[in-house]
Amino acid sequence: MIVVENLTKEFKSFKKYPGFKGTVKGLFTREVVGKKAVDDISFRIGEGEIVGYIGSNGAGKSTTIKMMTGILVPTSGRCVVNGIIPYEKRMENAQQIGAVFGQRTQLWWDLPLTETFSILKEIYNVSDKDFKNRMDFLDQVLNLSEFINNTVRTLSLGQRMRADLGAALLHNPKVLYLDEPTIGLDVVVKENIRLAIKEINKEYKTTVVLTTHDLGDIEELCNRIIIIDAGKKVYDGGLKNIRDTHGYMRIIDIDVKNADQIKDIDFNARFNLLTEDLKVNINGNSISVNFNRNRISASEIASLVMENATVRDMSIKDTDINQIVKKIYKNGVN
Amino acid sequence: MRYIRLYKVFLLQYLKALMQSKVDFFVGLIAFFFTQLAGIVFLYLIFEHIPNLNGWSFEQLLFIYGFAQLPRGIDHLFTDYIWMLAMRMVIRGEFDKYLLRPINPLFQLIAERFQPDAIGEILVGMILVVTSCVKMEIKIGFFNSIVFVVSIVAGAIIYTAIKLFFASIAFWTKDSIGLLQLVYETADFAKYPVSIYDKKVRFILSYIFPFAFVAFYPASYFIGKAKLLTTVGIEVLIAIITITIAYATFNKGLTIYESAGN
Repeated sequence: MIVVENLTKEFKSFKKYPGFKGTVKGLFTREVVGKKAVDDISFRIGEGEIVGYIGSNGAGKSTTIKMMTGILVPTSGRCVVNGIIPYEKRMENAQQIGAVFGQRTQLWWDLPLTETFSILKEIYNVSDKDFKNRMDFLDQVLNLSEFINNTVRTLSLGQRMRADLGAALLHNPKVLYLDEPTIGLDVVVKENIRLAIKEINKEYKTTVVLTTHDLGDIEELCNRIIIIDAGKKVYDGGLKNIRDTHGYMRIIDIDVKNADQIKDIDFNARFNLLTEDLKVNINGNSISVNFNRNRISASEIASLVMENATVRDMSIKDTDINQIVKKIYKNGVN
Repeated sequence: MRYIRLYKVFLLQYLKALMQSKVDFFVGLIAFFFTQLAGIVFLYLIFEHIPNLNGWSFEQLLFIYGFAQLPRGIDHLFTDYIWMLAMRMVIRGEFDKYLLRPINPLFQLIAERFQPDAIGEILVGMILVVTSCVKMEIKIGFFNSIVFVVSIVAGAIIYTAIKLFFASIAFWTKDSIGLLQLVYETADFAKYPVSIYDKKVRFILSYIFPFAFVAFYPASYFIGKAKLLTTVGIEVLIAIITITIAYATFNKGLTIYESAGN
Protein backbone atom coordinates (compact mmCIF):
# COMPACT_ATOMS: atom_id res chain seq x y z
CA MET A 1 0.00 0.00 0.00
CA ILE A 2 2.71 2.45 1.00
CA VAL A 3 6.28 2.20 -0.22
CA VAL A 4 8.86 4.63 1.09
CA GLU A 5 12.36 4.44 -0.37
CA ASN A 6 15.37 6.45 0.79
CA LEU A 7 13.10 9.35 1.55
CA THR A 8 15.00 12.51 2.48
CA LYS A 9 13.84 16.03 3.17
CA GLU A 10 16.29 18.79 3.72
CA PHE A 11 15.18 22.21 4.83
CA LYS A 12 17.45 24.99 3.75
CA SER A 13 17.74 28.20 5.63
CA PHE A 14 20.15 31.07 5.73
CA LYS A 15 22.58 31.04 8.55
CA LYS A 16 21.55 33.26 11.40
CA TYR A 17 23.80 34.99 13.86
CA PRO A 18 22.90 35.80 17.45
CA GLY A 19 21.91 39.26 18.64
CA PHE A 20 20.88 42.38 16.79
CA LYS A 21 24.31 42.76 15.20
CA GLY A 22 23.98 39.19 14.04
CA THR A 23 20.61 39.90 12.48
CA VAL A 24 22.10 42.77 10.52
CA LYS A 25 25.03 40.60 9.50
CA GLY A 26 22.57 37.93 8.40
CA LEU A 27 21.08 40.39 5.95
CA PHE A 28 24.33 40.65 4.07
CA THR A 29 25.59 37.08 4.16
CA ARG A 30 23.99 34.24 2.32
CA GLU A 31 25.42 31.18 3.96
CA VAL A 32 22.96 28.36 3.45
CA VAL A 33 22.58 25.76 6.16
CA GLY A 34 20.74 22.57 5.36
CA LYS A 35 19.01 20.52 8.00
CA LYS A 36 17.89 17.03 7.19
CA ALA A 37 14.52 16.64 8.86
CA VAL A 38 14.09 13.21 7.30
CA ASP A 39 17.21 11.30 6.41
CA ASP A 40 17.17 8.29 4.10
CA ILE A 41 14.12 6.50 5.47
CA SER A 42 12.69 3.37 3.86
CA PHE A 43 9.78 1.16 4.82
CA ARG A 44 6.75 -0.60 3.40
CA ILE A 45 3.28 -0.71 4.85
CA GLY A 46 0.73 -3.29 3.76
CA GLU A 47 -3.00 -2.89 3.30
CA GLY A 48 -5.01 -2.83 6.50
CA GLU A 49 -2.01 -2.36 8.79
CA ILE A 50 -2.08 0.10 11.67
CA VAL A 51 1.41 1.44 12.07
CA GLY A 52 2.61 3.73 14.83
CA TYR A 53 5.14 6.21 13.57
CA ILE A 54 6.89 7.59 16.58
CA GLY A 55 9.79 9.66 17.75
CA SER A 56 10.47 12.60 20.00
CA ASN A 57 9.52 16.17 19.06
CA GLY A 58 11.33 17.32 15.96
CA ALA A 59 12.37 13.79 15.02
CA GLY A 60 10.83 14.18 11.57
CA LYS A 61 7.49 12.43 12.01
CA SER A 62 5.29 15.18 10.68
CA THR A 63 7.68 15.88 7.83
CA THR A 64 7.46 12.25 6.71
CA ILE A 65 3.68 12.28 6.96
CA LYS A 66 3.56 15.52 4.99
CA MET A 67 5.56 13.91 2.21
CA MET A 68 3.28 10.87 2.21
CA THR A 69 0.20 13.09 2.03
CA GLY A 70 1.68 15.16 -0.79
CA ILE A 71 2.05 18.45 1.08
CA LEU A 72 5.83 18.42 0.84
CA VAL A 73 8.05 17.39 -2.02
CA PRO A 74 11.01 15.24 -0.89
CA THR A 75 14.55 16.43 -1.53
CA SER A 76 15.46 12.93 -2.68
CA GLY A 77 14.12 9.40 -2.55
CA ARG A 78 10.52 8.65 -3.23
CA CYS A 79 7.29 7.40 -1.81
CA VAL A 80 4.39 5.70 -3.51
CA VAL A 81 0.96 5.42 -1.94
CA ASN A 82 -1.38 2.92 -3.55
CA GLY A 83 0.45 3.29 -6.86
CA ILE A 84 0.45 7.09 -6.85
CA ILE A 85 3.33 9.42 -6.11
CA PRO A 86 1.53 11.81 -3.77
CA TYR A 87 3.50 15.01 -4.37
CA GLU A 88 3.31 14.61 -8.15
CA LYS A 89 -0.38 13.80 -8.41
CA ARG A 90 -1.74 15.62 -5.43
CA MET A 91 -5.37 15.67 -6.41
CA GLU A 92 -5.52 11.97 -7.28
CA ASN A 93 -3.71 11.17 -4.09
CA ALA A 94 -6.04 13.34 -2.03
CA GLN A 95 -9.03 11.38 -3.23
CA GLN A 96 -7.71 8.18 -1.68
CA ILE A 97 -6.29 9.42 1.58
CA GLY A 98 -7.66 11.02 4.69
CA ALA A 99 -5.59 13.04 7.11
CA VAL A 100 -6.10 14.44 10.57
CA PHE A 101 -3.56 16.81 12.01
CA GLY A 102 -4.37 16.95 15.69
CA GLN A 103 -3.24 20.51 16.17
CA ARG A 104 -5.02 21.97 13.19
CA THR A 105 -8.59 21.54 12.13
CA GLN A 106 -9.73 21.14 8.57
CA LEU A 107 -13.33 21.94 9.33
CA TRP A 108 -15.10 25.13 8.33
CA TRP A 109 -14.72 27.22 11.43
CA ASP A 110 -17.78 29.46 11.08
CA LEU A 111 -20.28 26.91 9.88
CA PRO A 112 -22.34 24.24 11.58
CA LEU A 113 -20.68 20.84 11.38
CA THR A 114 -23.38 19.44 9.07
CA GLU A 115 -22.33 22.02 6.48
CA THR A 116 -18.74 20.83 6.61
CA PHE A 117 -19.94 17.37 5.72
CA SER A 118 -22.11 18.57 2.86
CA ILE A 119 -19.20 20.60 1.44
CA LEU A 120 -16.91 17.59 1.74
CA LYS A 121 -19.51 15.47 0.00
CA GLU A 122 -19.21 17.79 -3.01
CA ILE A 123 -15.44 18.06 -2.82
CA TYR A 124 -14.91 14.31 -2.81
CA ASN A 125 -17.79 13.56 -5.15
CA VAL A 126 -19.48 11.18 -2.75
CA SER A 127 -22.78 9.81 -4.05
CA ASP A 128 -25.94 10.35 -2.03
CA LYS A 129 -26.20 6.68 -1.17
CA ASP A 130 -22.56 6.38 -0.04
CA PHE A 131 -22.92 9.62 1.86
CA LYS A 132 -25.83 8.30 3.86
CA ASN A 133 -24.10 4.99 4.60
CA ARG A 134 -20.90 6.70 5.67
CA MET A 135 -22.68 9.21 7.86
CA ASP A 136 -24.60 6.44 9.58
CA PHE A 137 -21.41 4.53 10.18
CA LEU A 138 -19.49 7.59 11.36
CA ASP A 139 -22.29 8.62 13.65
CA GLN A 140 -22.30 5.16 15.14
CA VAL A 141 -18.56 5.08 15.88
CA LEU A 142 -17.99 8.77 16.66
CA ASN A 143 -21.40 9.89 17.98
CA LEU A 144 -21.40 12.89 15.70
CA SER A 145 -25.15 13.50 16.00
CA GLU A 146 -24.64 14.85 19.53
CA PHE A 147 -23.16 18.05 18.13
CA ILE A 148 -23.63 17.94 14.39
CA ASN A 149 -25.76 21.10 14.34
CA ASN A 150 -23.31 23.17 16.37
CA THR A 151 -20.99 25.69 14.81
CA VAL A 152 -17.49 24.26 14.58
CA ARG A 153 -15.87 26.97 16.67
CA THR A 154 -18.14 26.15 19.61
CA LEU A 155 -17.13 22.49 19.72
CA SER A 156 -14.99 21.19 22.56
CA LEU A 157 -11.58 19.79 21.66
CA GLY A 158 -12.84 16.24 22.00
CA GLN A 159 -15.86 16.90 19.79
CA ARG A 160 -13.73 18.70 17.26
CA MET A 161 -11.31 15.82 17.05
CA ARG A 162 -14.15 13.37 16.49
CA ALA A 163 -15.55 15.70 13.84
CA ASP A 164 -12.14 16.01 12.17
CA LEU A 165 -11.76 12.25 12.13
CA GLY A 166 -15.22 11.92 10.63
CA ALA A 167 -14.42 14.53 8.02
CA ALA A 168 -11.25 12.68 7.02
CA LEU A 169 -13.20 9.45 6.57
CA LEU A 170 -16.25 10.60 4.65
CA HIS A 171 -14.86 9.59 1.27
CA ASN A 172 -13.76 6.18 2.50
CA PRO A 173 -10.02 6.69 2.04
CA LYS A 174 -7.67 3.78 1.51
CA VAL A 175 -5.08 5.31 3.80
CA LEU A 176 -5.67 7.36 6.90
CA TYR A 177 -2.91 9.53 8.34
CA LEU A 178 -3.32 10.61 11.92
CA ASP A 179 -0.88 13.11 13.33
CA GLU A 180 -1.32 13.08 17.10
CA PRO A 181 -5.05 12.36 17.05
CA THR A 182 -5.40 12.16 20.83
CA ILE A 183 -3.32 15.17 21.84
CA GLY A 184 -4.86 17.08 24.71
CA LEU A 185 -7.89 14.81 25.05
CA ASP A 186 -9.27 13.32 28.25
CA VAL A 187 -9.20 9.59 28.92
CA VAL A 188 -12.78 8.90 27.88
CA VAL A 189 -12.54 10.72 24.56
CA LYS A 190 -9.15 9.12 23.89
CA GLU A 191 -10.73 5.73 24.38
CA ASN A 192 -13.60 6.61 22.02
CA ILE A 193 -11.24 7.78 19.34
CA ARG A 194 -9.13 4.65 19.62
CA LEU A 195 -12.17 2.41 19.39
CA ALA A 196 -13.38 4.33 16.35
CA ILE A 197 -10.03 3.94 14.60
CA LYS A 198 -10.05 0.22 15.35
CA GLU A 199 -13.58 -0.13 14.06
CA ILE A 200 -12.82 1.72 10.85
CA ASN A 201 -9.74 -0.36 10.25
CA LYS A 202 -11.67 -3.58 10.77
CA GLU A 203 -14.71 -2.60 8.75
CA TYR A 204 -13.03 -1.06 5.71
CA LYS A 205 -9.48 -2.43 5.86
CA THR A 206 -8.26 1.16 6.00
CA THR A 207 -4.49 1.40 6.34
CA VAL A 208 -3.65 3.69 9.24
CA VAL A 209 -0.41 5.56 9.87
CA LEU A 210 -0.41 7.23 13.22
CA THR A 211 2.01 9.46 15.07
CA THR A 212 1.64 9.96 18.76
CA HIS A 213 3.42 10.60 22.02
CA ASP A 214 0.90 8.52 23.89
CA LEU A 215 2.06 4.98 24.55
CA GLY A 216 -1.57 4.05 25.23
CA ASP A 217 -2.54 4.83 21.63
CA ILE A 218 0.20 2.59 20.38
CA GLU A 219 -0.50 -0.24 22.76
CA GLU A 220 -4.14 -0.33 21.86
CA LEU A 221 -3.94 0.26 18.16
CA CYS A 222 -0.69 -0.70 16.56
CA ASN A 223 0.73 -4.06 15.83
CA ARG A 224 3.78 -2.50 14.33
CA ILE A 225 5.79 0.59 15.10
CA ILE A 226 8.43 2.55 13.30
CA ILE A 227 10.63 4.73 15.46
CA ILE A 228 12.65 7.58 14.09
CA ASP A 229 15.12 9.83 15.76
CA ALA A 230 16.85 12.86 14.28
CA GLY A 231 15.37 11.94 10.89
CA LYS A 232 16.71 8.39 10.82
CA LYS A 233 14.82 5.17 11.27
CA VAL A 234 15.99 3.42 14.42
CA TYR A 235 13.42 0.68 14.80
CA ASP A 236 10.81 -1.05 12.70
CA GLY A 237 8.95 -4.03 14.06
CA GLY A 238 6.46 -5.41 16.52
CA LEU A 239 5.34 -3.58 19.58
CA LYS A 240 5.64 -6.52 21.95
CA ASN A 241 9.33 -6.87 21.33
CA ILE A 242 10.02 -3.27 22.10
CA ARG A 243 7.94 -3.21 25.22
CA ASP A 244 9.59 -6.29 26.59
CA THR A 245 13.05 -5.00 25.93
CA HIS A 246 12.55 -1.31 26.61
CA GLY A 247 9.20 -0.49 28.08
CA TYR A 248 9.65 -2.28 31.38
CA MET A 249 10.75 0.66 33.49
CA ARG A 250 8.12 2.32 35.66
CA ILE A 251 8.24 5.18 38.07
CA ILE A 252 6.33 5.16 41.33
CA ASP A 253 5.95 8.48 43.10
CA ILE A 254 4.98 8.41 46.77
CA ASP A 255 4.29 11.40 49.00
CA VAL A 256 4.66 10.68 52.70
CA LYS A 257 4.16 12.65 55.91
CA ASN A 258 7.66 12.06 57.15
CA ALA A 259 10.39 10.43 55.10
CA ASP A 260 13.01 10.16 57.85
CA GLN A 261 12.62 6.43 58.36
CA ILE A 262 12.60 5.75 54.65
CA LYS A 263 15.93 7.44 54.23
CA ASP A 264 17.59 4.76 56.33
CA ILE A 265 16.33 1.87 54.22
CA ASP A 266 18.60 0.42 51.58
CA PHE A 267 16.06 -0.57 48.95
CA ASN A 268 18.57 -2.27 46.72
CA ALA A 269 19.85 -4.54 49.50
CA ARG A 270 16.34 -5.28 50.73
CA PHE A 271 15.14 -6.51 47.34
CA ASN A 272 18.52 -7.72 46.20
CA LEU A 273 18.48 -5.66 42.99
CA LEU A 274 21.09 -3.62 41.17
CA THR A 275 20.62 0.13 40.73
CA GLU A 276 19.79 -0.33 37.03
CA ASP A 277 16.65 -2.20 38.06
CA LEU A 278 15.76 -0.15 41.10
CA LYS A 279 16.67 3.40 41.90
CA VAL A 280 15.32 5.50 44.74
CA ASN A 281 15.31 9.29 44.91
CA ILE A 282 14.15 11.03 48.05
CA ASN A 283 13.46 14.71 47.91
CA GLY A 284 12.01 16.11 51.13
CA ASN A 285 8.87 14.10 51.70
CA SER A 286 8.45 12.80 48.20
CA ILE A 287 9.94 9.55 47.14
CA SER A 288 10.43 8.61 43.54
CA VAL A 289 11.33 5.04 42.68
CA ASN A 290 12.44 3.99 39.24
CA PHE A 291 11.98 0.25 38.87
CA ASN A 292 12.01 -2.62 36.43
CA ARG A 293 8.58 -4.16 36.51
CA ASN A 294 9.91 -7.50 35.30
CA ARG A 295 11.97 -7.77 38.47
CA ILE A 296 9.83 -6.25 41.15
CA SER A 297 6.20 -5.22 41.50
CA ALA A 298 4.94 -1.81 42.45
CA SER A 299 3.08 -3.28 45.42
CA GLU A 300 6.29 -4.63 46.97
CA ILE A 301 7.81 -1.18 46.89
CA ALA A 302 4.64 0.49 48.07
CA SER A 303 4.16 -1.86 51.02
CA LEU A 304 7.73 -1.37 52.16
CA VAL A 305 7.19 2.37 52.14
CA MET A 306 3.85 2.04 53.90
CA GLU A 307 5.37 0.01 56.70
CA ASN A 308 7.73 2.87 57.45
CA ALA A 309 5.71 6.00 56.81
CA THR A 310 2.21 7.39 56.39
CA VAL A 311 1.46 7.65 52.71
CA ARG A 312 -0.35 10.74 51.51
CA ASP A 313 -0.41 10.19 47.81
CA MET A 314 0.89 7.71 45.31
CA SER A 315 1.08 7.40 41.54
CA ILE A 316 2.64 5.05 39.01
CA LYS A 317 3.91 6.36 35.73
CA ASP A 318 4.55 4.48 32.54
CA THR A 319 7.79 5.03 30.74
CA ASP A 320 6.90 7.51 28.07
CA ILE A 321 7.66 6.98 24.48
CA ASN A 322 10.38 9.59 24.38
CA GLN A 323 12.38 7.71 26.97
CA ILE A 324 12.08 4.50 25.02
CA VAL A 325 13.16 6.29 21.89
CA LYS A 326 16.09 7.82 23.70
CA LYS A 327 17.11 4.45 25.05
CA ILE A 328 16.87 2.78 21.69
CA TYR A 329 18.87 5.51 20.11
CA LYS A 330 21.61 5.05 22.66
CA ASN A 331 21.72 1.27 22.62
CA GLY A 332 20.29 0.21 19.31
CA VAL A 333 17.74 -2.55 18.98
CA ASN A 334 18.71 -6.11 18.25
CA MET B 1 -18.45 22.16 -14.75
CA ARG B 2 -17.67 20.46 -11.48
CA TYR B 3 -15.83 23.57 -10.38
CA ILE B 4 -18.79 25.80 -11.12
CA ARG B 5 -20.97 23.58 -8.98
CA LEU B 6 -18.34 23.56 -6.26
CA TYR B 7 -18.06 27.32 -6.40
CA LYS B 8 -21.78 27.60 -5.85
CA VAL B 9 -21.50 25.32 -2.84
CA PHE B 10 -18.65 27.39 -1.39
CA LEU B 11 -20.42 30.64 -2.14
CA LEU B 12 -23.61 29.48 -0.49
CA GLN B 13 -21.75 28.40 2.62
CA TYR B 14 -19.86 31.64 2.70
CA LEU B 15 -23.05 33.65 2.47
CA LYS B 16 -24.58 31.60 5.26
CA ALA B 17 -21.64 32.40 7.49
CA LEU B 18 -21.87 36.03 6.44
CA MET B 19 -25.54 36.30 7.33
CA GLN B 20 -24.56 35.52 10.88
CA SER B 21 -22.88 38.89 10.99
CA LYS B 22 -25.20 41.13 8.97
CA VAL B 23 -23.94 44.29 10.58
CA ASP B 24 -20.44 43.54 9.42
CA PHE B 25 -21.65 43.04 5.90
CA PHE B 26 -23.53 46.34 5.64
CA VAL B 27 -20.87 48.35 7.39
CA GLY B 28 -18.33 46.98 4.91
CA LEU B 29 -20.55 47.85 1.98
CA ILE B 30 -21.27 51.37 3.18
CA ALA B 31 -17.64 52.05 4.08
CA PHE B 32 -16.53 51.10 0.63
CA PHE B 33 -19.19 53.22 -0.96
CA PHE B 34 -18.00 56.24 0.97
CA THR B 35 -14.37 55.63 0.10
CA GLN B 36 -15.38 55.66 -3.53
CA LEU B 37 -17.45 58.76 -3.08
CA ALA B 38 -14.51 60.56 -1.49
CA GLY B 39 -12.45 59.77 -4.57
CA ILE B 40 -15.02 61.36 -6.85
CA VAL B 41 -15.45 64.42 -4.64
CA PHE B 42 -11.69 64.85 -4.85
CA LEU B 43 -11.92 64.84 -8.64
CA TYR B 44 -14.70 67.47 -8.55
CA LEU B 45 -12.70 69.74 -6.28
CA ILE B 46 -9.72 69.65 -8.61
CA PHE B 47 -11.78 70.21 -11.71
CA GLU B 48 -13.61 73.14 -10.33
CA HIS B 49 -10.37 75.01 -10.87
CA ILE B 50 -8.90 73.21 -13.83
CA PRO B 51 -11.55 72.59 -16.45
CA ASN B 52 -9.33 70.31 -18.41
CA LEU B 53 -6.33 68.22 -17.63
CA ASN B 54 -3.77 67.69 -20.32
CA GLY B 55 -6.49 67.59 -22.91
CA TRP B 56 -8.88 65.46 -20.87
CA SER B 57 -12.28 66.83 -20.01
CA PHE B 58 -13.93 66.19 -16.68
CA GLU B 59 -16.41 63.71 -18.17
CA GLN B 60 -13.64 61.77 -19.82
CA LEU B 61 -11.76 61.62 -16.53
CA LEU B 62 -14.86 60.37 -14.76
CA PHE B 63 -15.29 57.71 -17.39
CA ILE B 64 -11.73 56.50 -16.96
CA TYR B 65 -12.04 56.62 -13.21
CA GLY B 66 -15.31 54.68 -13.26
CA PHE B 67 -14.06 52.27 -15.87
CA ALA B 68 -11.00 51.51 -13.72
CA GLN B 69 -13.26 50.52 -10.82
CA LEU B 70 -15.00 47.73 -12.71
CA PRO B 71 -12.21 45.17 -13.29
CA ARG B 72 -10.73 46.06 -9.93
CA GLY B 73 -14.08 45.49 -8.24
CA ILE B 74 -14.64 42.18 -9.99
CA ASP B 75 -11.18 40.98 -9.05
CA HIS B 76 -11.80 42.14 -5.49
CA LEU B 77 -15.16 40.39 -5.40
CA PHE B 78 -13.86 36.98 -6.37
CA THR B 79 -10.18 36.61 -5.58
CA ASP B 80 -9.66 38.67 -2.45
CA TYR B 81 -8.43 35.69 -0.46
CA ILE B 82 -5.20 35.58 -2.46
CA TRP B 83 -4.01 38.30 -0.07
CA MET B 84 -4.03 35.69 2.68
CA LEU B 85 -1.51 33.65 0.76
CA ALA B 86 0.85 36.61 0.87
CA MET B 87 0.00 37.42 4.45
CA ARG B 88 -0.03 34.21 6.44
CA MET B 89 -0.90 31.02 4.59
CA VAL B 90 2.70 30.07 3.93
CA ILE B 91 4.30 31.30 7.10
CA ARG B 92 1.74 29.56 9.29
CA GLY B 93 1.52 26.43 7.20
CA GLU B 94 -2.19 27.01 6.63
CA PHE B 95 -1.78 26.12 3.00
CA ASP B 96 -1.56 22.44 3.97
CA LYS B 97 -5.29 21.95 3.88
CA TYR B 98 -5.57 22.93 0.23
CA LEU B 99 -3.03 20.29 -0.70
CA LEU B 100 -5.00 17.58 1.05
CA ARG B 101 -8.13 17.92 -1.04
CA PRO B 102 -8.78 16.58 -4.51
CA ILE B 103 -9.46 19.95 -6.09
CA ASN B 104 -7.20 22.58 -7.55
CA PRO B 105 -5.46 24.47 -4.72
CA LEU B 106 -5.81 27.85 -6.42
CA PHE B 107 -9.51 27.27 -6.88
CA GLN B 108 -9.86 26.44 -3.20
CA LEU B 109 -7.96 29.55 -2.22
CA ILE B 110 -10.19 31.73 -4.35
CA ALA B 111 -13.41 30.00 -3.36
CA GLU B 112 -12.60 30.49 0.29
CA ARG B 113 -13.92 34.02 0.25
CA PHE B 114 -16.42 36.05 -1.67
CA GLN B 115 -15.95 39.76 -0.95
CA PRO B 116 -19.27 41.62 -0.99
CA ASP B 117 -17.48 44.87 -0.01
CA ALA B 118 -16.49 45.04 -3.65
CA ILE B 119 -20.08 45.54 -4.69
CA GLY B 120 -19.68 49.16 -3.57
CA GLU B 121 -16.74 49.58 -5.93
CA ILE B 122 -18.58 48.03 -8.84
CA LEU B 123 -21.71 50.10 -8.23
CA VAL B 124 -19.79 53.36 -8.17
CA GLY B 125 -17.93 52.32 -11.30
CA MET B 126 -21.16 51.55 -13.12
CA ILE B 127 -22.75 54.83 -12.10
CA LEU B 128 -19.73 56.82 -13.24
CA VAL B 129 -19.45 55.01 -16.56
CA VAL B 130 -23.14 55.40 -17.34
CA THR B 131 -23.47 59.06 -16.34
CA SER B 132 -20.26 60.12 -18.10
CA CYS B 133 -21.35 58.24 -21.23
CA VAL B 134 -24.64 60.08 -21.21
CA LYS B 135 -22.94 63.43 -20.73
CA MET B 136 -20.42 62.79 -23.47
CA GLU B 137 -23.18 61.39 -25.64
CA ILE B 138 -21.21 58.24 -26.34
CA LYS B 139 -23.39 55.56 -27.87
CA ILE B 140 -22.23 52.06 -27.18
CA GLY B 141 -23.51 49.70 -29.83
CA PHE B 142 -23.74 45.92 -29.81
CA PHE B 143 -20.16 45.33 -30.91
CA ASN B 144 -18.74 47.73 -28.39
CA SER B 145 -20.75 46.32 -25.53
CA ILE B 146 -19.12 42.96 -26.21
CA VAL B 147 -15.72 44.67 -26.35
CA PHE B 148 -16.64 46.37 -23.09
CA VAL B 149 -17.33 43.07 -21.33
CA VAL B 150 -14.21 41.45 -22.80
CA SER B 151 -12.10 44.38 -21.68
CA ILE B 152 -13.43 44.28 -18.14
CA VAL B 153 -12.94 40.53 -17.85
CA ALA B 154 -9.42 40.83 -19.24
CA GLY B 155 -8.75 43.68 -16.83
CA ALA B 156 -9.94 41.63 -13.88
CA ILE B 157 -7.67 38.80 -15.00
CA ILE B 158 -4.69 41.16 -15.12
CA TYR B 159 -5.43 42.32 -11.59
CA THR B 160 -5.74 38.74 -10.40
CA ALA B 161 -2.56 37.71 -12.21
CA ILE B 162 -0.50 40.50 -10.69
CA LYS B 163 -1.90 39.74 -7.25
CA LEU B 164 -1.31 36.01 -7.67
CA PHE B 165 2.23 36.48 -8.91
CA PHE B 166 3.33 38.65 -6.01
CA ALA B 167 1.42 36.57 -3.46
CA SER B 168 3.14 33.43 -4.81
CA ILE B 169 6.50 35.00 -3.99
CA ALA B 170 5.52 34.13 -0.42
CA PHE B 171 6.33 30.49 -1.14
CA TRP B 172 9.97 31.59 -1.34
CA THR B 173 10.03 34.44 1.12
CA LYS B 174 7.39 33.08 3.57
CA ASP B 175 5.38 36.28 3.34
CA SER B 176 5.12 38.90 0.65
CA ILE B 177 2.40 41.17 1.92
CA GLY B 178 4.57 44.30 1.86
CA LEU B 179 5.58 43.71 -1.71
CA LEU B 180 2.05 42.93 -2.80
CA GLN B 181 0.71 46.06 -1.14
CA LEU B 182 3.32 48.19 -2.84
CA VAL B 183 2.48 46.81 -6.26
CA TYR B 184 -1.23 46.93 -5.71
CA GLU B 185 -1.14 50.55 -4.72
CA THR B 186 0.49 51.52 -7.99
CA ALA B 187 -2.83 50.48 -9.50
CA ASP B 188 -4.31 53.69 -8.10
CA PHE B 189 -2.28 55.66 -10.64
CA ALA B 190 -4.16 53.93 -13.39
CA LYS B 191 -7.42 55.60 -12.41
CA TYR B 192 -6.20 58.74 -14.16
CA PRO B 193 -4.99 59.22 -17.71
CA VAL B 194 -1.42 57.90 -17.84
CA SER B 195 -0.53 60.62 -20.35
CA ILE B 196 -0.44 63.08 -17.44
CA TYR B 197 2.49 61.22 -15.90
CA ASP B 198 6.19 61.40 -16.48
CA LYS B 199 7.70 59.03 -19.08
CA LYS B 200 9.15 56.62 -16.50
CA VAL B 201 5.91 56.27 -14.56
CA ARG B 202 4.05 55.76 -17.81
CA PHE B 203 6.50 53.00 -18.78
CA ILE B 204 6.10 51.25 -15.44
CA LEU B 205 2.30 51.41 -15.57
CA SER B 206 2.18 50.14 -19.11
CA TYR B 207 4.79 47.41 -19.20
CA ILE B 208 6.04 46.49 -15.72
CA PHE B 209 2.82 46.44 -13.74
CA PRO B 210 0.45 46.84 -16.68
CA PHE B 211 -2.36 48.50 -14.77
CA ALA B 212 -2.70 51.17 -17.48
CA PHE B 213 -3.96 48.46 -19.81
CA VAL B 214 -6.64 47.59 -17.31
CA ALA B 215 -8.24 51.00 -17.31
CA PHE B 216 -6.75 53.91 -19.16
CA TYR B 217 -6.01 52.35 -22.56
CA PRO B 218 -9.31 50.49 -22.99
CA ALA B 219 -11.21 53.51 -21.64
CA SER B 220 -9.57 55.75 -24.20
CA TYR B 221 -10.78 53.38 -26.90
CA PHE B 222 -14.37 53.82 -25.79
CA ILE B 223 -13.96 57.56 -25.57
CA GLY B 224 -12.80 57.41 -29.15
CA LYS B 225 -9.23 58.53 -28.58
CA ALA B 226 -7.50 55.30 -29.57
CA LYS B 227 -7.80 52.23 -31.80
CA LEU B 228 -9.25 48.91 -30.67
CA LEU B 229 -6.24 46.72 -31.44
CA THR B 230 -3.68 48.85 -29.61
CA THR B 231 -5.84 49.09 -26.50
CA VAL B 232 -8.25 46.24 -25.79
CA GLY B 233 -6.30 43.96 -28.13
CA ILE B 234 -3.10 44.42 -26.17
CA GLU B 235 -5.03 44.22 -22.93
CA VAL B 236 -6.31 40.74 -23.77
CA LEU B 237 -2.82 39.67 -24.79
CA ILE B 238 -1.39 40.99 -21.52
CA ALA B 239 -4.13 39.20 -19.58
CA ILE B 240 -3.19 35.89 -21.17
CA ILE B 241 0.54 36.39 -20.63
CA THR B 242 0.34 37.62 -17.04
CA ILE B 243 -2.07 34.95 -15.86
CA THR B 244 0.10 32.24 -17.43
CA ILE B 245 3.22 33.55 -15.71
CA ALA B 246 1.40 34.00 -12.42
CA TYR B 247 -0.13 30.52 -12.45
CA ALA B 248 3.20 28.93 -13.38
CA THR B 249 4.84 30.79 -10.50
CA PHE B 250 2.11 29.64 -8.14
CA ASN B 251 2.59 26.02 -9.25
CA LYS B 252 6.35 26.27 -8.91
CA GLY B 253 5.79 27.68 -5.45
CA LEU B 254 3.76 24.62 -4.47
CA THR B 255 6.76 22.38 -5.09
CA ILE B 256 8.95 24.30 -2.69
CA TYR B 257 6.26 24.93 -0.09
CA GLU B 258 7.71 23.98 3.28
CA SER B 259 4.65 23.94 5.51
CA ALA B 260 5.29 24.73 9.19
CA GLY B 261 6.15 22.67 12.22
CA ASN B 262 3.37 21.52 14.50
